[in-house]
Formats: sequence, structure tokens, C-alpha cells
Amino acid sequence: MPDTDKPPPLVVPDIVKQIGLRLLAIPATIFIITAVLYGIVMLAPAEERAMLYFPPRVPTTLSAEEMQKRIDALIAEHGLDDPYPVQYAHWAGQLLRGNWGYSPTYNEDVWALIKRRLPVTAELTFYTVLLMVPVALISGVMSGWRSYGRFDRGYRITAFSATSIPPFILGLFLLSIFYVGLDWFPPGRTSIYTLTLSTSDFRTITGFLTFDGLLNGRPDVTLDALRHLVLPVFTLSLLYWATISRVTRVAMIEEKNKEYLTAARAKGLRERQLEWRHAFRNAAQPAFTAMILSAAGLVTGVYVIETVFNMKGLSELITRGFFYAPDAPLVMGFAVVSVLLVLPIILLFDLLRTIIDPRLREDGLDI
Amino acid sequence: MITWRRFFSRTSNLVGLGLVLLFVLMAVFAPLIAPPVNPDIPWPFKNYSQTLSREPLPPGPDIPLGTTPQIKNLPQYGIAPGQDAAYQWDVFYTLIWGARSALRFGLVVALTTALIGAVVGIISGYIGGTTSMVVMRLTDAFLAFPAIAAIWLIQRAFYTNLYNPYIDLQALSGWETLLRNWQIDPIMIALILFSWMPYARLMNTQVRRAKRAEYVQAAESMGASGARIIWHHLLPNTISPAVVLGARDVGGMVILAAAFIFIGFGGNVAWGTVLVTSRDYIIGVGGNPFKYWWTFVPVSLALILFGVAWNLLGDGLNTLLNPYER
Repeated sequence: MPDTDKPPPLVVPDIVKQIGLRLLAIPATIFIITAVLYGIVMLAPAEERAMLYFPPRVPTTLSAEEMQKRIDALIAEHGLDDPYPVQYAHWAGQLLRGNWGYSPTYNEDVWALIKRRLPVTAELTFYTVLLMVPVALISGVMSGWRSYGRFDRGYRITAFSATSIPPFILGLFLLSIFYVGLDWFPPGRTSIYTLTLSTSDFRTITGFLTFDGLLNGRPDVTLDALRHLVLPVFTLSLLYWATISRVTRVAMIEEKNKEYLTAARAKGLRERQLEWRHAFRNAAQPAFTAMILSAAGLVTGVYVIETVFNMKGLSELITRGFFYAPDAPLVMGFAVVSVLLVLPIILLFDLLRTIIDPRLREDGLDI
Repeated sequence: MITWRRFFSRTSNLVGLGLVLLFVLMAVFAPLIAPPVNPDIPWPFKNYSQTLSREPLPPGPDIPLGTTPQIKNLPQYGIAPGQDAAYQWDVFYTLIWGARSALRFGLVVALTTALIGAVVGIISGYIGGTTSMVVMRLTDAFLAFPAIAAIWLIQRAFYTNLYNPYIDLQALSGWETLLRNWQIDPIMIALILFSWMPYARLMNTQVRRAKRAEYVQAAESMGASGARIIWHHLLPNTISPAVVLGARDVGGMVILAAAFIFIGFGGNVAWGTVLVTSRDYIIGVGGNPFKYWWTFVPVSLALILFGVAWNLLGDGLNTLLNPYER
């Protein structure tokens, strides 16, 4: 709008309201996802779903009547004949009360199984986001601002290779070079005998070994944990770095030729200021959208890389399980905890975006 | 057509197109390049020799790329746990027949997700207003979900019989036989269910932008129906970014599926299946990762090239379809 006599309406950067809106979206998201997942499971008939609650090592010599009796008991116990809303409400109510169910294959409470492994996955995700976001934004902005120069050419070759190599193959090669060959970065979570980390001398405060080591006055634990994080974090960051910095680069190239920059340049602002204070703030919008779009993929990537590097995080529940023994409470618990891992990442990107973008938007995730 | 000439004048486009054609030819002529033992059951693996040793056989006259031991505890029908290392698989055979399963998987997933996403995005974008907002919020909710949990859920809920190696084939129920015959695996279902969102968002934005254009308003003022406007006016003008995304997705989805199979899910992308044991032969041989190179190099290379091919083709389509964008 070129001609406005009225002063523009005063935009109050109401960051509290923004956070509140996004926090409200979290339960809604969890509700939609779990309802869909529960709906998928409900497609199977009740007899089949009863098998989902069956312990794995049932003697196969059970007679037909005995089997039917057990299945009927399970259907009655879990209310598998009820209509979908009733069953879903029952399950969700139990979840809200902190009862995540009991896993027949592991013979343990689902929440206990998850709680033990969650810090490993969360730590890996945390460091990946911490490393990836600044590096991706900076390299994208720099190569876009100097597009088709020497830096940009080098960047494009690196980014293209990074998107081409599947992370799990890259991880294996890095392991064989840096662990088997050079013995610099071993796999796993720590080389320290883990029982010494669960005594009263070493209290678990955050669950992150890197933080707990410092809080307990044991920098050796922190250093050791960091040494084990180098390879997985690098492998994981590479692909997402390439994806996000590419989007940033294209946005910067588009932004570079806009008239407001010429005007600002005519005013005598320095190039560095134009690059970071003007062009970047506008180009950051698509970059953060790309990050939000790939947040779920990032967590999926974390699970894959955990397996490659033998870190006993949440993915252990999937890969070490009995693959042909079904276990409904554990599967649903895993799904819920996965969403709970993704949502804070999306929230973080969303908030960063509103902070960086001068045109504070009201309507949440919108391009 | 000037744009076509531009498409063929770029080396990277030609490389991409050539590689895709190479994979298509590999898939089409697979029975000629690597004749199957039993033509009626085109299983992408060939048992070369029966041995208890887990040592892969090096390339020889019969086996151009050597062998790799059969996978332990693979959730795929027909491989029983404990049958581990009873057979050596012919790597070359799987390399060729894997192109078939990879193309099939990539095209099915990319086309289906693009279709679902485009329908959701176009209709919600055309209606606009509250509908568009609600649908996009639902899309955002789906975005927050890692597909890996869905794969696990679907595998556990629907594939327990299919992946139970001891079950009798006759005992499978109707839909289980369907899933088996059409080679639909849990990874395919989960990826279709949880990767249509980027297309929906893209098409929604595109359609909302295009709806304000004068040609659409002209068509509306002439009394054209909504379906006609969408089909004749909006679709041709808004679909191209989704086509580009779809082309890139074909490779991406196959690589993703291979990664999921690698960490232990059941799936039909054969390249992923032979890579499952590769971990042992890259790390387990004490510092020389290339001692048993034939167990993983050809297949990883095929996967990487497959991804590169579709990426390059996508970039080429981008310059062809959106000539004003760069």
C-alpha cells in the first residue's frame, strides 16, 4: 500500500500472546495425531486387536478353546468391543492420568521403559538443533549474498553431496574411519562404566550426561559424552544443514535484488548491515518454514542414527523388540513420546521466526 | 519449444534424465540381465550357495559382484529367524532386481502423496476462509508426527501374521493376502499417510495466490463452475512446484525406506535389505572398511545415484516449469 495518510496501526510485539497461542496448539496436535493413529489400529477387528495385548511367549500348543478364552478375556479387559470414541477416550484418559499401560513384550511399564531412554534421544536432538540451525542460516545467507561466486560454488558442491549420501551409510563410513581406524570417536553413549554413573555420587539431574557431568563436578563425564556425540551429531546435521541452507540461499538471492536494499544502500548503510539486518530478516521466513517442515524428519533421523551409532535411546524400543510380537501400549506410548519430542522443536523454530521476522505474524504456521 | 532446448542444454539435466532412464531400463530388462531361478516368483534375492560360514564370497565368474550372507531376523515373509547365514545371496542379482522394487516404491509413494496433498491443498485453497485455515491447522498437526512411529504401529497392528515366518500361507486372511500380493509394506503405508503435508501446504498457498488473478475472476464472472475453474484454470497454473517436489521425492522416499529397513523394519526395497548386514562388514573388519567392498559399495552406490538422479531431474523440471524463478 503506497499511499496511507493514517499512521500504521501500532503492532505490539505481544510475545506472551504468541507463546500462549502456540502452547495451546500442542494438546490439539497430540489429540489429532493420537486420534488418527488409534483410528488406524481400530481398522482391525477386535480379535486381531486382542493379539496386540498378547504376551509374546505364549505356548503355541494352546488348544483352540483355550486361545479363544484368552482372547475373549483380553477383549473384555481392554473393552475392545466398545465403539471407537469410547475406546479412544478410555485410552486418552489413562494417558492423562499417567498410566501409559503395561508392555507385555518387555514385562515392564511403558512409561518406565520410555523414561530411561528419553534423555539419550533428547540429548542427541538438542545438540543437533543447536549446531545445525546457526550453521545452516549463516552458510545459506553467505552463499546467497555472494551467489555464483567462489564461496557459493564450494557451498553448492558440498550441499549437493550432503543431500545425496544417505545419513545411515555416511554414519557407517564415519564409524569405520574414526572408530575402527583411528579410535577417536567410539560409538555408544559413554565409555565410562555406566553403573558408576547411577550411584549416589553421581546424581541424575537433567538426564543429559553432558550437563549432569558438569553439575556433579565431573568434567570427565561431560567430555566423554561429548566425544561420543561428535559423529552422530555431525552425521545427522549434515543432511538438514543442506536442506535448510539451500532454502535460505534461494530466499537470499530473491531478496538481494529488491528495491528496499538499493534504497538502504543509497542511504549509505554498510554491506554487512544490509546482509544481516535487512535481507536476512526477510529471507529467514522461508528458512524457518523449511525447518518446521523437517522437524518430524529430524526426529525420525535421530532414531535411525541412534541405531547406527548404537546409542540406546528410544529407537532401542523399536529395533530390539520382538518384531512379530505385537505390543499396543508400547507402540502407542512411543508414538505419543515422538510427538512430544517434535513439538518443542517446532515451537522453538516458530518463536525464533517471530523474533527474527520484523512483521510479527498472528496466524501461526503460515508461509 | 525454447524451454525444452534449454532443458537439454544443461549437463546436469541430461545426467539426471540419463540416470533415471538407466534405472528404468535395469528394472524393465531385469529378467534378461539377471535371470531368476523361478520366473513365476520374482523374488529380488537369489540364493547362490548354501553354507554355514558368514564370510562373503568375492566376485567370481558366476557372481559378478560376489555374495553377501542372508539377513538375520528379517521381518519379511519367507525368511525365518535362525535361518541366518544358511544361504549366500548374489549381490549383482539384487542390484538389478532392486531397481524394480525401488522404482515401484518411489513412484507409488510420490504419486499417491502428491495426489492426496494436491487434492487437499487445492480444494481447501479454493474454498478459502475458515475452511482453508482449519484444514491447514490439521495439516500442521500431521507435520508434527515422525513417520517412523506410524511404521511401527502399522507393522505391529497389521503385519504380525505376514511377518511371522512360521505362519502358514493359507492361514492369511483376505486383506493380508492382498497386502502380500500387491507388495504393500508398512513403510509404504506410513510414508503415504505422513508425507502429503508439504504438497497440501504448497498447493494451498499457490491456489490462494492464483485465485486472485484476473483470469480466474473472469472465468468466475462468466459463470464457470468451481470444478471447471479448478481443473481448467487453477490446476495448470499452480501444479508445477508440486511436480518438482514429487520428482525429488521419488529418490528421497526410497532412501528413507532403505534407512528404515536398515534399522530393522520390514519393507520391499531390496537394496535396503541387503544393506542390513553391511554394518558388520564395514565396521567389523578391523580398520579396513573396504575388505568386503562388494557387500555394500554397489548397492549403496545404486541408492545414492538413484537419489541424485531424481534430484537432478527435479532441478531440471524446476527450470523447465518455473522459468522465471531463478
